[in-house]
Amino acid sequence: MVDFIQNCLDGIMLGSSYALLAIGFTLIFGVMRRLNLSYGPSIMVGAFVGTLVYLEFKANAVAIAAATVVGAVIVGIYVERLCFRAIRRGAAVASMVSSFVIWMQLEEIVTVVFPDRTYFFPPMVTADPIDLGPFFFKVENIVMFAVAAVMTVLLHWLLQYTRFGLALRAVSENPRAALFMGINVGAVMFLAFVIASAFGGVAAYLIVSADGQITPLFGLWATFKGLIAMMLGGMGSIPGAILGGLLLGVVEAQSIWYLGTEYRDLSAYFLLFLFLVFRPGGLMGQLAVERELAATRRV
Amino acid sequence: MPILELTTLTKHFGGVHAVDELDLAVEEGEIFGLIGPNGSGKSTTVNLICGVVSVTAGRVAFEGRDITGSAPHRVLAAGVARTFQNIRLFGHLTVWQNLWVAQNSVEDRRSENFAKRWFFGSGATRDAVDQQLEFAGLAGKRNELAANLAFGEQRRLELARALATKPRLLLLDEPAAGMNLEEVHALDGRLRALQQAGMTIVLVEHVMELVMGVTDRIAVLNFGRKIAEGLPAAIQEDPAVQQAYLGGGVETAHA
Repeated sequence: MVDFIQNCLDGIMLGSSYALLAIGFTLIFGVMRRLNLSYGPSIMVGAFVGTLVYLEFKANAVAIAAATVVGAVIVGIYVERLCFRAIRRGAAVASMVSSFVIWMQLEEIVTVVFPDRTYFFPPMVTADPIDLGPFFFKVENIVMFAVAAVMTVLLHWLLQYTRFGLALRAVSENPRAALFMGINVGAVMFLAFVIASAFGGVAAYLIVSADGQITPLFGLWATFKGLIAMMLGGMGSIPGAILGGLLLGVVEAQSIWYLGTEYRDLSAYFLLFLFLVFRPGGLMGQLAVERELAATRRV
Repeated sequence: MPILELTTLTKHFGGVHAVDELDLAVEEGEIFGLIGPNGSGKSTTVNLICGVVSVTAGRVAFEGRDITGSAPHRVLAAGVARTFQNIRLFGHLTVWQNLWVAQNSVEDRRSENFAKRWFFGSGATRDAVDQQLEFAGLAGKRNELAANLAFGEQRRLELARALATKPRLLLLDEPAAGMNLEEVHALDGRLRALQQAGMTIVLVEHVMELVMGVTDRIAVLNFGRKIAEGLPAAIQEDPAVQQAYLGGGVETAHA
């Protein structure tokens, strides 16, 4: 029982970084109704920018984290300009396909610039785990959870109380009406991309620094984790993204303990399979769809 | 100089002449009625003015400036706001937020202050929103989600949201559709109050009690062409208009 609870706690802390990835995905999907497949690779590039800053300047953790986030945001803007701004009026699938191609491009560039494939990534802290009764906590996991929690609260505040947040929600609900109310829809979409990329950059730093290493494959990994967490929670729902991320983390932590490390990703896919069979809308997706329908019926 | 001037405005959808060489001049401060049978091109005309659909030929001028083919948010910024035939509120936002987001979009557009522009708006904006709610009779519902309002309240909110953008010309696309008589009377009063305050209104409407009572002048469209224009009383007597409405009188056609 102690093991089970310990796994749950570890899973929640791990899952908080998945939640950040999923929030990024779901923000872009909610505002644009389009899927950005190169989301993972663009934050991977951010993490390599962090690596570069470490290698060149032996910078401290804060500088590396900042470089990672800034890198992720810049590449995110690059992707937005190429795949989303340019094809905003075209079919949604066109954006998805071009974002897939940019994924390949980013991965190739990183592979050429960083030919060793696997690079050391400095940990954010070097401290002993904290014991708390029968349980113990790694410090980096606590930081991961705390940062994710703070960012989520910040996002909630942004969406509930600021004019940008309200404009963003207005655009995701009815882009046409938003345009007629004078909202600069293009600017809102752009900023949604920037925020999503910043969330992804923070997640990338937390995950990679906990792992202690980075490879170009991190892009693929981040896209998959983010996508699965988003789909578990329900596409387009931010509470869903959080729940989906945490659930994914807990299931992975349990399967690492009880089944072995090699089953970590397989169990994630199996969980997704179960959801697609029994609850295809995800945890909150069904609710979101019903609310959407109710809203369109009445409005 | 008319505040809104359409010159030989034309829109073809394939072979269909939705709007055909329409000339129209709306004077500042008047309530101008635009009526006609279904499919006569009234809504298309509104959409042409607002830049939703592209103009095939002709010209739209607002306050003497050519706004033909401008994007919707630019038309709005120029001072023309509209409501929709089918209500399009932001259902997940509260009543107050619906107005605030619209008010903000024009009020602080050129604000130099970053925080004002993207985060909090200005205090004046918030006060103006409260006043709009008062005028719309929705002050008690400020924290309700727009999706949970009754139909008539949603109509009122849509009008208030358009007003929140501080327009000088208001285009109302069938604002009385689905309203009961009492609500139509309340709308009548609101439109007159707006006119008193100096607003120019173009009213596209089927509900004749409202159109005949509140408008100063009326233009009648049929098959995209203007078939009559004049004072409400004259329009009611016009034989061409009666012919257009299935050969009957204007009132009996919609009774």
